[in-house]
Amino acid sequence: MRRYGSAVLLLLVGGAVLRISLFSELYLRYVQAALRPYLVISGSLLILLGLVAAVRGMRQRDHEEHDDHEEHGEHGEEEEGEEAEHDHGHSHSHGGPRIAWLLTLPALALLLFPPPALGSYSASREEAQRAAQGVGTFSALPAGKVLDISVAQYSSRAIYDTGHSLKGRTLRMTGFVTHGSDGTWYVTRLLVTCCAADATISKVEIRGDEADGAPQTDSWVTVTGTWVPKGRLGTDGAWPPVLKAAQVEQVKEPADPYDKR
Amino acid sequence: MRVQNERTVVDGLRLAVRAMVYAVVGGAALLAIATVVSVLGPMLALDLYTPAVAAWWTVFTAVAVQGVPFLLLGTVVSAAIGAFVPERVFTKLLPRNQALAVPIAGAAGVVLPGCECASVPVASSLMRRGVAPAAALAFLLSAPAINPVVLVATSIAFPGQPKMVLGRLIASLATAVVMGWLWARFGREEWLRLPKRTHTAASSPTGVKAFVAGLQHDFLHAGGFLVLGAAAAATFNIAVPRSILDIFTGSSWLSLLLLAFLAVVLCVCSEADAFVAASLSGFSPAAKLAFMVVGPMVDLKLIALQAGTFGRAFAFRFSSATWLVAVVSSTLVGWWLL
Repeated sequence: MRRYGSAVLLLLVGGAVLRISLFSELYLRYVQAALRPYLVISGSLLILLGLVAAVRGMRQRDHEEHDDHEEHGEHGEEEEGEEAEHDHGHSHSHGGPRIAWLLTLPALALLLFPPPALGSYSASREEAQRAAQGVGTFSALPAGKVLDISVAQYSSRAIYDTGHSLKGRTLRMTGFVTHGSDGTWYVTRLLVTCCAADATISKVEIRGDEADGAPQTDSWVTVTGTWVPKGRLGTDGAWPPVLKAAQVEQVKEPADPYDKR
Repeated sequence: MRVQNERTVVDGLRLAVRAMVYAVVGGAALLAIATVVSVLGPMLALDLYTPAVAAWWTVFTAVAVQGVPFLLLGTVVSAAIGAFVPERVFTKLLPRNQALAVPIAGAAGVVLPGCECASVPVASSLMRRGVAPAAALAFLLSAPAINPVVLVATSIAFPGQPKMVLGRLIASLATAVVMGWLWARFGREEWLRLPKRTHTAASSPTGVKAFVAGLQHDFLHAGGFLVLGAAAAATFNIAVPRSILDIFTGSSWLSLLLLAFLAVVLCVCSEADAFVAASLSGFSPAAKLAFMVVGPMVDLKLIALQAGTFGRAFAFRFSSATWLVAVVSSTLVGWWLL
């Protein structure tokens, strides 16, 4: 283990990174989509480095065994060079630095039990988040009978759009369910800019006959409905925005659990 | 001949017995562990795996995963500097006078398009290559804050507010340069513990072999500290809800200090912090600026990385001084520009 420590660690971290980025879409639970190519490159590079380290470890063992048998072989000089390179003044040069073993924590977690995407727990703790922007007109929404819209996009248009672009449209959005204190429920989506540590929340209150039997917290739903104006634009009274639901449909958690900016 | 044969037989027997003992003891231990884990595991998991713990794991792995590509970029650059760039390049490029070298190194931070994880190993390899610590530290602070990727992200997060981008550039650069000068004037060599890996320039290996060895070592070393920082960041992320911010929005002074503190504990990557700052409604522009200036220079993840690379004595002194300078400079720039 002492000799192969570096190799094991590098292979483990590289494998974990590749598992979530190349072989699945799990990385979307943790970081933004644009990071994928960098993750794949880093994962491959780490695997490569790990293999190099393993080969070096093996060769070194051969050298040592060799050295045991014929004390003053031709390899004497080369051996010395190798040793000097490995030594570098580090007492733990073979297994890599000891602190590096901490890397096994996230690596094994990702390989064995990938942590879930953030959900209602995080949403309930960041109530106050709201896109900060001034009131103004927004670009026109694309035409069509039913329009798919993100929860964040709906929120900012409902609260800040003086052009009322949502008026008269049938809108469809997907998110997970959170509950308010007085029987209200929301379609909620977290928005991740770089990684899950910077998640911000947007939510839309769901009203209407269909909304009576509120779904379970954290279950995913697709809601189709129309905009209900509320409060004065740009004020606290307008938040959270409201959607009158015509149809509520239970769905599976999407591959990308977070909203796009 | 017979004696030797007997000896091999005895040796073989001994080996077989030893192997059997290992197998029995090891097997029994493994069996015991497996039983205990399979019985207790699910019970423990149900009790301990609350939503808060699940969220902690998610944020923890997210910070670590997000840091890996940038850390690797940083270590590739730093290993390349160590293995391929001869020392005289830097002595030629940078003026001998430290007071002059600091602002040049600070402005050179523009060229490293990464977040803060990348800059620590690069700064350390610059020092090993004979760059004056004051200049390398100015580079360390400015690189994650003023590189083009971060500035573009800032302009996207604050549409129609080019002054925010300009303010960030000026305040970050000013902080980096002031810290470099402060180090040149008051810094002590003994606070700074450079990795022991350095030999004298002549004997240190160069070329591909050194590059690979340096890369492996630097990545593992810094990666360990990244994990440490990620754990701290996740803990604060879960323990300090951002909704408590509303309490402090009343006083502009308190809110500026609060956001500067928050930048330290939240450890938001410098490429994303502008979006987080923009979403903090109800805060003054100067407070948001402080969040963006402090974040890339001082945060838990970065303190852990610096402590690992330069030593604890350095990391705490340097980080607290940087925090103060960053707050002052963003206050001044915010008051002047925003």
